[in-house]
Amino acid sequence: MLQVESVDVRFGGVQALADVSLCVDSGSLVGLIGPNGAGKTTLFNVITGLEMPARGRVVLDGRDVTRLPPHRRARLGLGRTFQRIEVFSSLSVRDNVLAAAEARRSWGHDEPDPARTATDVLERVGLADLAGERVDGLSTGLLRLVEVARALASRPSLLLLDEPGSGLDGTESEALGTLLLDLVSDGVAILLVEHDVELVMRVCQQLHVLDFGRVIASGTPSQVRQNAAVQAAYLGADAGVVHA
Amino acid sequence: MTTFLALTLVGLVVGCIYALTACGLVVTYTTSGVFNFAHGAIGMVAAFTYWQLSVGWGLPVWLSLLLVLLVMAPLMGALVERVLVRPLYGAPIGVTLVVTLGLLISLIGLANLAWPPTTTRVLPKFFAGRTVTLASLVVSYNEILVIVTAALVAVTLRSFFTRTRTGIAMRAVVDDQELAALAGTNPQRVAQLSWALGATLAALAGVLLAPLVTLDILGLTLLVINGYAAAMVGRLRHLPATVSGALALGLLDSWLIGYAPGGVVNVLKPALPMFLLFGAVLFLKQERLRAGSLAGVRMPRTPSFRRSVGSAAAFVVAAWVVSGQLSAANLATGGQGLVLAFIMLSLVLLSGYGGQVSLCQLTFVGLGAFAMGKIGGGSPLGLLGAIALPAATGALIALTVVRLRGLYLALATLAFAQAMDVIFFSRALGYGGNLEVARPSLPGIDLGNDRTYFVLLAVVFAVGAVGVLALRRRAFGRRLVALNDSPAACATMGVSVATTKLIVLTASAGLAGLGGALFGGLHGSVSPNDFVLLNSLLLLLLATLGGLYTVSGAFLAAMFYALFPVLQNRYPGLGQVSYLLTGLGALSLGRNRYGMGGQLADLGERLRAWRLPAGQQAEVLHAAG
Ligand SMILES: Nc1ncnc2c1ncn2[C@@H]1O[C@H](COP(=O)(O)OP(=O)(O)O)[C@@H](O)[C@H]1O
Ligand SMILES: [Mg+2]
Repeated sequence: MLQVESVDVRFGGVQALADVSLCVDSGSLVGLIGPNGAGKTTLFNVITGLEMPARGRVVLDGRDVTRLPPHRRARLGLGRTFQRIEVFSSLSVRDNVLAAAEARRSWGHDEPDPARTATDVLERVGLADLAGERVDGLSTGLLRLVEVARALASRPSLLLLDEPGSGLDGTESEALGTLLLDLVSDGVAILLVEHDVELVMRVCQQLHVLDFGRVIASGTPSQVRQNAAVQAAYLGADAGVVHA
Repeated sequence: MTTFLALTLVGLVVGCIYALTACGLVVTYTTSGVFNFAHGAIGMVAAFTYWQLSVGWGLPVWLSLLLVLLVMAPLMGALVERVLVRPLYGAPIGVTLVVTLGLLISLIGLANLAWPPTTTRVLPKFFAGRTVTLASLVVSYNEILVIVTAALVAVTLRSFFTRTRTGIAMRAVVDDQELAALAGTNPQRVAQLSWALGATLAALAGVLLAPLVTLDILGLTLLVINGYAAAMVGRLRHLPATVSGALALGLLDSWLIGYAPGGVVNVLKPALPMFLLFGAVLFLKQERLRAGSLAGVRMPRTPSFRRSVGSAAAFVVAAWVVSGQLSAANLATGGQGLVLAFIMLSLVLLSGYGGQVSLCQLTFVGLGAFAMGKIGGGSPLGLLGAIALPAATGALIALTVVRLRGLYLALATLAFAQAMDVIFFSRALGYGGNLEVARPSLPGIDLGNDRTYFVLLAVVFAVGAVGVLALRRRAFGRRLVALNDSPAACATMGVSVATTKLIVLTASAGLAGLGGALFGGLHGSVSPNDFVLLNSLLLLLLATLGGLYTVSGAFLAAMFYALFPVLQNRYPGLGQVSYLLTGLGALSLGRNRYGMGGQLADLGERLRAWRLPAGQQAEVLHAAG
């Protein structure tokens, strides 16, 4: 479904991504972890077209999309959320989601009624009660859910989630995990960046570990947990996160 | 050959001055991220102050220069940064632009008060016009001074940015504010320094330019558009490319005067900066949509469709009742306000909802009036033309700049408005003085009657307002607002940012054009003065002050704008003060971004809350922010 091939990104003196390759198969839930500044968000930007890689390719469903602008990629079924929240702050919760559903209707075929989609999605992520609220008064955790809901409203086949769990409490993040598994069983592929290791270990089938812009380990959650390089990276940069 | 050399020399001199102003612009913009539209106005004030000191009060030239360049200009730059610019870091373009435009308008108002344009002022050239002859070419000391100064400044800037700690810190701030802060430099101090430096360069350019042209407030202020164009060649970043752009502009300008036939010169020369600017824009690469940009403005709630229809009907009835009491003159003023209110709706759509800034809205209005006047004598065909011509023009402008940041749209529309002022509106191919514009004809209604026309205008505004509000509540309105809040998020949900901007700019231009047709019909004719750039700026400022996010705010602003000339006629001294007040009002927007309309909406919510029991009160207040 998604292949990232040998992607390089530099910002001035910082090599944000170096020769990064990974795949996400359709209907799978893949985790992407690594210390802060490892390049996870940058990789999301490269996949969604907000950042141009200096080298390498991004392939979606067998099609090379490296040169496509972000909105064209979205129309191929790619959705995402942002780590630094990008909700539409002048719109209500419902209108945030509705805008996405309407956008989908404007380029999709035989779309259901956007208002329906919005209602369904809000129900699904548990925001139905807050539908009429303005988003600028909500907590960070709830804003992340609004982002997830908005991404779902354009009914993506591949969803990139950038730290959706930060700012959520125990029960909320439990619910998030269940939602993710639910989505995967509906056939949505997910690439998940998350610091909450428990959540990652619970839901992901496959993990990639990024450190200083390089993939230093890949495998199942338990394989990755054993990996010496991963232990070193985390102990060096951000001790305790893996064990948390 | 001598002619060529002489022309080249003149071009070089002018180019050097453009280079100075353009470099100042680039330095401030790159270090603070706030584009200074008042850059030229600062140069203008410096030139006038220099005149005041050296000619007016008879101080020695060296002392006057010292005071202007090393005391007044840097202080002014630092002060502007501290008071106006600092609260704006990270603010959307709509806000930063209005604040620096407010500064521009205030400075113009201030200069008009301090140096009334009724007297002509002349600045002698430096070294009293002495010359040397170099191989048959007569070169004045003044010209040598300009070239040497520019060269010195270029060399100094270069070594400043590559050799000194502060200079390197400035470049670091350009690359990444947060990183620079981590590395121990204080980005705010660096920005303040760069504004001081930028103002000094603007002043230097003003002082050097003034002896070559006439001391004209508006002329000197707007000459900066040449600087914008040059800076665009350097992508608003690179100093060497900026300098080349400035020199090219100066040289082209001078050669054009020397070699092209008169007719062509008159058309082409004033448009040169615009062509350079658009040319440079065409070569700019598509920009990355930045995630993590600051969110837009929190908008007041939109009234429901039923409520807006109700208010609109009440408005029309009120207009009809009031119109019976108005004298002919007041009908004209009131009608003007209504037309302007309709025109402001185009700004509500474009800037209020869409967050895009156009500085040429009156140019679209003028194009609409032009089409109405030339086509069909009041028939529906004329109205169609009045919508289509500006809409097509708007679309064309949009096509060149929508890939880029909002700032580029502002700059492009500014250059376009300025060029249209001089080559189209004031010229025979445009109006040749006055153009008769017929009122539209409706079957069975005599629109020749002023009261009837007044009521028609009220109806048109009411329908337009309901339409704009309805649009806001529909899918396209949501998309516009969403785009304003986060372009990156919009793009990643499949919305084409460029197409949406193209649509809204086209629609807004068409709406303004329709307003132009009605405006022309109101007075029966239009003149070039109706559409000058400065008025476009004033319109935008007033609209923003009134509150671009609400239809009622637009209405308030329009009424105020319509009363402007009336007040000015009655109290002649008031004209400049009103510029000053508008400018100062705009400056306050740095702190309060919602304008009067937003304040009213807020006040309404607060009043409602006050009458409710305590529990609900908290809720409403929370919603009102
Ligand atoms: N727009 C940018 N300009 C300069 N450097 C950047 C930019 N975006 C990210 N970086 C740098 O790239 C590196 C990777 O950042 P990021 O992708 O945000 O990491 P993560 O999401 O894993 O925390 C960091 O060193 C960061 O400072
Ligand atoms: Mg990140």
